[in-house]
Amino acid sequence: MSESQLPTKESNLLGGHEGAVLATRFNGDGNYCLSCGKDRTLRLWNPHRGIHIKTYKGHGREVRDVHVTQDNAKLSSCGGDRQVFYWDVSTGRVIRKFRGHDSEVNSVKFNEYGSVVVSAGYDRSVRAWDCRSHSTEPIQIINTFTDSVMSVCLTKTEIIAGGVDGSVRTFDIRIGRETVDDLGQAVNCISISNDGNCVLASCLDSSIRLIDRSTGELLQEYKGHTCKSFKMDCCLTNSDAHVTSGSEDGYIFFWDLVDASVVSRFQAHASVVTSPASLPR
Amino acid sequence: MDSDEEDFVYYGTPIVREEEMTSRKKKVVAESAGQMRSLPSWKQEVRDEEGRRRFHGAFSGGFSAGYYNTVGSKEGWTPQSFTSSRKSRAEVKEQSVFSFLDDDEKAELEGRSVGTSSTFDTFGFTATELSRKQAEKELHKRPSAIPGPVPDELITPAPNSIGVKLLLKMGWRHGHAIKDSQCNQLYDARREARKAFLAFSSEKAKPDDDVDAITSDYESTIEEFISDEKSFFSRSTPVFVLNPKQDLHGLGFDPFRHAPEFRERKRLRMSGAEGPGKGRAPSLGGKLFASNSGKIAPGFGIGALEELDVEDEDIYASGFEFEEVNVDEAEESQRISKDNRIQLSNKKHGSLSGFKVAEKSDYQLERFPPPDIPADFDPHHKFPAPLKTGIKLIESPPPEVPPPEDNNLRILIEGFASLVSRCGTLFEDLSKEKNKDNPLFAFLNGGNGYNYYVRKLWELQQKHSDRQKLPVDNVKSTGKMTAEDRGRILGEKPLERTMKDSGSSTSTDGVQLQFNLRDTFTKPSSLVDILEAAKPFKNDPAKQERFEQFLKDKYKGGLRSISSVGSSNMSEADRARERLDFEAAAEAIEKGESSKISKFSSDQLLFENQFTKGQFVSGGTEVYKPQKEKTEVEIKYPRREEYQWRPYPLLCKRFDIIDPFMGKPLPLARARSKMDSLIFTSDFVKSTKTEETPTINRENLPVSKPELPKTTEETPQPESESEANLNIERPVDLYKAIFSDDSDDEEDAAPVSNQMDDMENKTEVANTVLNRLIAGDFLESLGKELGLEVPPEPVYYSKENKSNLTSSRKEVLIAEDACTSPRNDLVGSINGASLGPLGDRDADMLKKELEAFGEMSLANQPSSEKTAQPKSEEMVDSKKRRSHRKKHRSRSTSSDSSYSTDDDYRHGSRLRSREDKKDTSKRKSRKHSKHHKRKSRGSSGKSHYCDSESDERDKRREKKKTRINRDEKDDREDRPEKRKSIDSSKSSSHSRRHY
Repeated sequence: MSESQLPTKESNLLGGHEGAVLATRFNGDGNYCLSCGKDRTLRLWNPHRGIHIKTYKGHGREVRDVHVTQDNAKLSSCGGDRQVFYWDVSTGRVIRKFRGHDSEVNSVKFNEYGSVVVSAGYDRSVRAWDCRSHSTEPIQIINTFTDSVMSVCLTKTEIIAGGVDGSVRTFDIRIGRETVDDLGQAVNCISISNDGNCVLASCLDSSIRLIDRSTGELLQEYKGHTCKSFKMDCCLTNSDAHVTSGSEDGYIFFWDLVDASVVSRFQAHASVVTSPASLPR
Repeated sequence: MDSDEEDFVYYGTPIVREEEMTSRKKKVVAESAGQMRSLPSWKQEVRDEEGRRRFHGAFSGGFSAGYYNTVGSKEGWTPQSFTSSRKSRAEVKEQSVFSFLDDDEKAELEGRSVGTSSTFDTFGFTATELSRKQAEKELHKRPSAIPGPVPDELITPAPNSIGVKLLLKMGWRHGHAIKDSQCNQLYDARREARKAFLAFSSEKAKPDDDVDAITSDYESTIEEFISDEKSFFSRSTPVFVLNPKQDLHGLGFDPFRHAPEFRERKRLRMSGAEGPGKGRAPSLGGKLFASNSGKIAPGFGIGALEELDVEDEDIYASGFEFEEVNVDEAEESQRISKDNRIQLSNKKHGSLSGFKVAEKSDYQLERFPPPDIPADFDPHHKFPAPLKTGIKLIESPPPEVPPPEDNNLRILIEGFASLVSRCGTLFEDLSKEKNKDNPLFAFLNGGNGYNYYVRKLWELQQKHSDRQKLPVDNVKSTGKMTAEDRGRILGEKPLERTMKDSGSSTSTDGVQLQFNLRDTFTKPSSLVDILEAAKPFKNDPAKQERFEQFLKDKYKGGLRSISSVGSSNMSEADRARERLDFEAAAEAIEKGESSKISKFSSDQLLFENQFTKGQFVSGGTEVYKPQKEKTEVEIKYPRREEYQWRPYPLLCKRFDIIDPFMGKPLPLARARSKMDSLIFTSDFVKSTKTEETPTINRENLPVSKPELPKTTEETPQPESESEANLNIERPVDLYKAIFSDDSDDEEDAAPVSNQMDDMENKTEVANTVLNRLIAGDFLESLGKELGLEVPPEPVYYSKENKSNLTSSRKEVLIAEDACTSPRNDLVGSINGASLGPLGDRDADMLKKELEAFGEMSLANQPSSEKTAQPKSEEMVDSKKRRSHRKKHRSRSTSSDSSYSTDDDYRHGSRLRSREDKKDTSKRKSRKHSKHHKRKSRGSSGKSHYCDSESDERDKRREKKKTRINRDEKDDREDRPEKRKSIDSSKSSSHSRRHY
C-alpha cells in the first residue's frame, strides 16, 4: 500500500453501538468486521457495504475484545464480566463461557486452528482455554506478569502478551521459553507485523515502539499521537509499510514504518479512537 | 415378621449411621473444607448444612441476608412467651426501621432524616434545647453566677427575647418590618376614604350606576394602595446573617458570579468533605470504563477487585437525594446579594458589588525612576584573587611525606593547612609575609616540613572541595536543571554562547573558558586515543573501526543509533553478537583504566575536573564517564530477559506442537492411570520399573534446560535407527506415532494418558504388556502383537520416521479443520430460524451475509485435501452420507441440529454409549474419533451420527479398522498406490457398514 492509498476519508459509518466502541476486528479475509463496546454487545458488520449483520448479546458488562477464528465459525469475546465467551457465529449462541479470571479480561485471541482461546486479564494472568473439550477450566495459566495484561497475540507457536508492567512477554511453546522484553513503559496494545519478525507495542507514554522479536532491539519509535490513559490499539497495515494508531484527540495517525515520520493524519472521530484495524489482505 | 416387629418397644432415638447420612451432606462437608479455604473471600458463599444457598428473594437480601444467611436474628428463633395481665401489661414493642438497622446504616440515615429547622420552629422547642446545651457547655468554662449546684431545669436560657416572642405571637416573622404605623396609616386612609364616600353619597343622591362606578374607582385605588403597601412590606429590613468569610478571595469578590453552577458544586464538595464517605467525588469524568453515576447500591457489595459499573448503581434509591446541608445561610446570603444587586443595579459597572467608586481619591501613586547604572558597571563580582582550590587541584598530587618528628610542628602544619584550605591561598600569602621571620612558620617558605605542608594542604583542599561540591551537586540534581546541566549529563557539546555563561558561572576567567572549549571538543577523541593503546580488534580493521564508532557513541551518551553500530550487511544476530563483544571489550578497558586512575584518587568525581587541564583531567573524565554510562545502561530499554517456561502438554497439543518438555515430570501432579505410567516407564528405561514411579526421566535430555529445543529436534533421529535395533533407547514420539497418531483430537485428557487408548482391549493389552515388560523387550512384543492382530496387512511401524510423523500430524490438522466444516451447510438451514427475531426487512440479505461469512470457512479450508484420493468414490461417498444424515436427522426429533459441531459430536457419542456399556469412556471417545477421522478424510465429513443398529457391528469391526487406518496413515507418504487400494477398500467397507 503506497502512501496515496492510505485511507483519508470515511468510507462507511457503522452506527449502532450505544456508548463507546472498545475494539474493532476484521475477520480473516477482511470482508467482515466485528466490533464490541460498552453496550455489552458484539456486532458483526459488513464494512464495505455498511451493513449491520448481527448482534451478539450475552455479556454482562462491557465487551473489551473480540476475535474470530480463521474459518469464521466461532467468535470469542471478553470483557468486564470476567468471562471469556465462546460464540457460534451463525446461531449467535454462546457455546461456552470460560470463567476463571479474577478480574476484567482485556484481550482475547484464538490460535491458528481455533482450538484454543488465549485471554489476558486485569488479574495479571494470561489464560489458555480449550475449545475442543467441554472443560471450562483453563489449560494453562501464565502468571508471570506483575500488572494488568492488556493485550495478547498469538503466532503459530508463541503466545505474546504485553502488560502495564511494561513488559512484552513471548511464550514460545515450541522450545518452552519465556522471553521478556522490558520496555519500561506501560504497554497498551501489541500487534505482530505481518512477516512475524517484529512486535509493535503501543505504550502509554504516547509512543509506539517497534521491537525486533529475535533480538529484542528497539527498532523504531513512533510519536506524535496522544495515548496517555486509554487503551488504544495499534497495528501495521497489511503490507507492513505503515504503522497506524488512533489518538486521544480523535485523529488517526499513519507512520512510515522505517523512518517513523507521520505520513498521514486525519480527524476521524470526535473523541478517542480506540481501535483501528487494517484490512488483513 | 411385621407383627413381631410391632411388638418391640423402642427407647431413645436411633443412632444415625454415617452411611445413612445423605451423600449431599458429605459432599458439602468435603467441599466446605476443601474449597472455602482456597477461594477468595468474595467467592465464598454461605450454605446451610444441606449444601443449599438460601435465597431470600430478590428484594429481600438475595443470597445473603439476615444473620449469617439465616432469616433469623442473633437471638435466633427461640420462642418467647407472651404474658400480659391486668397489672403488668406486656410492653408493646414499637418496631421502627431503626431497630433493624446496623449502626453504620443508622449513621447514614441520620443525614437524610428531616427535622424542623429553627426558622419554622414556632414554639421554639428545638431552639430551647440548643441554647440549653450551649449554656451547659459554657458552664464548664466560667464559674456559675449562683454558687452551689443550681438545677439546670430551673434556669433555662431563653432562645429569644421576650420582645421577639411577643412579636412572633402577634404574627410578626423574622425578616419583616414591624408595620404598626403603616397599618395605622392604612387604616386611617381607609377610614378617611369611607367617610368621604359616605359624605359624598349622602350629599348627592346619584343614580346607582354612578355610585357603582365611584365605588369601583375607590376600590381600585384602595387596592393599589394596599398592593403598594405589600411590596413595601416584603422589601423591608433584610435580615443580615453573619456569613463568615472563609475563603481567600478579596472582599466582596464572588468567584461564582458568572458561573453559579460551580457554586453548587463547590458546596457539594465541601459538604462531602465534612461528612465522611458521603458519596463519591465525581472525578471519573473521562475514564473509559467508568460508571455513569455516583450512586452505589447498598446490599450486594462489590468486591475490592471490581470496578463500579452500571449494574452497581442503586436503582432503588429514592430519586431525590438530600444531604444534611444548612441551606438557610446560603439562601440568606443569596438574598442579600440579590438585594444588593438591586440596589447597585443603577451603579456603574466595574465596581465591586457593595462598593462604590470614589469620585476623587487623595491617594496618588508616586513613582520613582530606577537608579542610574553607571556605564562602566560590571554586574560580576571580581575577586581580588582567584579561588585557588580549583587550580591547586589541577596539580599532580605531591608525594606522600612522613610527618615531621616534632609533634608541635606537625599540629601547627596541619592546623595551618586546614585554615588555608578553607580560606584560600590568599591567607597563605598573607601569613607568609607576616611570619617571614618566625622560625615556626619556616615550612611556608620551603623550610622544615614544607613537603609535609604541601601534601597536607593538598589533601585538605581536596576534602574541602569535595564537601563543598557535593552539596552543590545535590542541589543541582534536585533543583531545576538548566539546559547546560542536562547537556552535560547527556554528553552534548555545549553551544558557544551557553558555554560563556557556564564559564562565568563557574567563576573562572577566559582562560578556563578556553579549556572548556578544548575539553568539550577533544574529549571523545582523546578518549579514543587512550583506548587506542589497547586495541581489542587489531586483526580486523573494519571491526575495530566499528568498535571505535561504538565507543564514540557510547561515551557520547544519549540514544544509540542503530545504523551506526553495525554495518548494514550484517545480519541481526551478528550485530547483536558483535555488540555484546564490544560491550565486553569496553568494560575491560574501562576497568583497566579505572584501576590505573584509582592510584591517583578515586573519589575525584567533580564536574570541575572536566573543565580543568592537565594529565589528570582525562583520567578524571575517564572515571566519571563510565559511571554515567552505567546508569544509562540501567535505564536503557528495552531490556530482554529469558526464562524457562513450561507449556502444558495439552496446550502443546492444541497448538499442534511437540511438547518440548515431553517426558519431563509434570509440574503439577496429574492423575494418570497406572497403565500409562507403567507403559511409559518400561520402554526407555528398559528395566522392570515398578508402576509406582510416576515421574520418569527416561529421556536422555541434559538437565540443563536451555538445550531443550535441540533435543526435540533430535528426537526423530533415533527412530530411523530403530529400524535396525528395536532395543535402542527410544523417545516417546515413536509411541505417539504408533498409537496416538491422531491423539490430537477432541478429548482433553493429557496426551500421555491417551496414548494407549486405541488399543483394542485394554485389560488384555495390560496383561500382555506386563508379561513383555518382564522380558524387557516391549517393542518387539508389541510388534508381534500387532502382527497377530492384523494378519492381512504387514506392519509398517518400523518404517516410521520423522516425515511420517509430520504427515500424520498434517492429517490431524485436516481432520480437525474438516470437523468444523459440517456446520457450514447447517448455516443455510438454520439461519432462517435463528435470524427470525433479528431482521424483518433485511433478513434475507443479512442471512446471505451471514452465510457468506460462514461459508468462508469452507473456502478457507485447506485445499491440501489429498489429491490421491479416488475422487469419484469420494463424491459418491459424501453424497451417500449426506443423504444418510438427512435421514437420520429427520428421524431424530431433536432440535439440536443448530448446535455446534461439538454438540453434535457429543450427541453421537451419547448415542453410542447407550449401546455398549462395556466400553470405557475413553475407548468410546477414541473409537469415535477414529470414526470421525475416517469420514473427514473422505472430505465430506458430514456424518457424526451412527445408526445404532450398526453400532454393534461397528464395535466388532473396530479392531480391524483401527489397524488398517493406522497403517494407511503411516504408509501414506510412501505408497500411494497401496493407499489408494486401502482407501477404496476402506471406503467400501465404510459404506457397507453404514448402509
